[in-house]
Amino acid sequence: MRVLSGEVIDTVLRSLYVSGVATMLSLTWSVPASYILALRQRTGLVEALLETLVGMPTVLLGLLLYFLFSSSGPLAPLRLLYTPQAMIVGEAILVTPLIISTSHRLLRNAITTYSELALSLGAGRDQAMTLILRETSPGIIASAVMGFSRAVGELGIAMMVGGNISGYTRVATTAIALGVSRGEFEEALVLGLMLLAIMLVVAVALKSLSRVYVKW
Amino acid sequence: MVNIGLKDVWYRYTGSSSWSLKGVSIIIQNGETVLVTGHNGSGKTTMLKIASLIYRPSSGAVLVDGKDFWVLRESERTSVRRSIVYVHEKPVLLRGSVLSNVAYGLAIRGVSSGEAVKKCREVLEELGIWELHRSSPHKLSAGQAQLMAVARALVLDPEALFLDEPFAHLDSEKREILVNTLIGRQRQGVSIVISSHQVGYLGKLSVNKTVTLENGVVMRAREKREKGESNS
Repeated sequence: MRVLSGEVIDTVLRSLYVSGVATMLSLTWSVPASYILALRQRTGLVEALLETLVGMPTVLLGLLLYFLFSSSGPLAPLRLLYTPQAMIVGEAILVTPLIISTSHRLLRNAITTYSELALSLGAGRDQAMTLILRETSPGIIASAVMGFSRAVGELGIAMMVGGNISGYTRVATTAIALGVSRGEFEEALVLGLMLLAIMLVVAVALKSLSRVYVKW
Repeated sequence: MVNIGLKDVWYRYTGSSSWSLKGVSIIIQNGETVLVTGHNGSGKTTMLKIASLIYRPSSGAVLVDGKDFWVLRESERTSVRRSIVYVHEKPVLLRGSVLSNVAYGLAIRGVSSGEAVKKCREVLEELGIWELHRSSPHKLSAGQAQLMAVARALVLDPEALFLDEPFAHLDSEKREILVNTLIGRQRQGVSIVISSHQVGYLGKLSVNKTVTLENGVVMRAREKREKGESNS
């Protein structure tokens, strides 16, 4: 079947790779940032800013990154434009407000409850923090899945800083856009459905993983 | 053994304009059992959380064996906290099984899993809930969850045990089990501080001191309540 060619599979796998790495990269700063935000009082302004950034048009972020990475931009020496790395950086930035705004709320509730419990049972500060993160991990994983879905489904960044180069930076969304512009609707539809199915599997797998707990 | 003293303790919750505790001073001696009574909102829970070294007072001092706890270094505080355990009125349930919940305090102390299971089994059997050890704590009744929270504290062999409304969710049978367990700990010299507005639940438990709070102020501190004395 032509629509399930090696190129299609390659494109889907690249989508998963770019978005997966971008989500994991974002988690490295989003979780600590969420924790710090959850510890603070009077965060209304920061929360409003984050919620605004959640809905930021991806083409706008793509354009800003294009300016940064282009040959006349300040990050030109990094030679990231039209590379998967540029897409990873862009998507990591894109999903950061989403992950922080969903994680910090559950961490805020958890910090009060679990830090009191941890202290009452003689835990140190690090042990209390570990307990909080352990108990909130299903929620944080759910935030990560949302971030991943957002990254996989975005088009603007992939197009502007990836450039939709076949076999290199072409991902599912850019391939779908290209297919539609060429009138190859069948291939575009198959790509979209494949991506959706894989995202569903990933979400279910992560949800199941978050329930795994070592029992005595 | 441990002596705990509150010296002119004031406490105000973040964002609140009113004081929850106003100049509270009490002493909990080694092996003493103290009953803290008062209406809802009188400051019982706040006082227990301060005395059990969870909350830092807004002003005043918490003395543990004569030392001001809150001027100690973080590592010293953790070490002191390990002899004092507080049980929440509403049990905090962790993921995992009842056994892993009860063993949490032992795990953070580095106790081996074999030893921890043995200790947990002893205490869960004493409280009559060993058969639930593989269950999810989220599937327990309120009374069973309360006993699990007490077990989580008792496995640590604390020198001072703070119980916030421990009988609130218990039926008469479980209440009796808990009272007998606490009597056993009294005999071992454990200091016990119980907050309750239902003093009738204490049954055979003898109390050395009763502190009555009202609007964050100690209204009455009465020494010695003999066994079997009328509570109502």
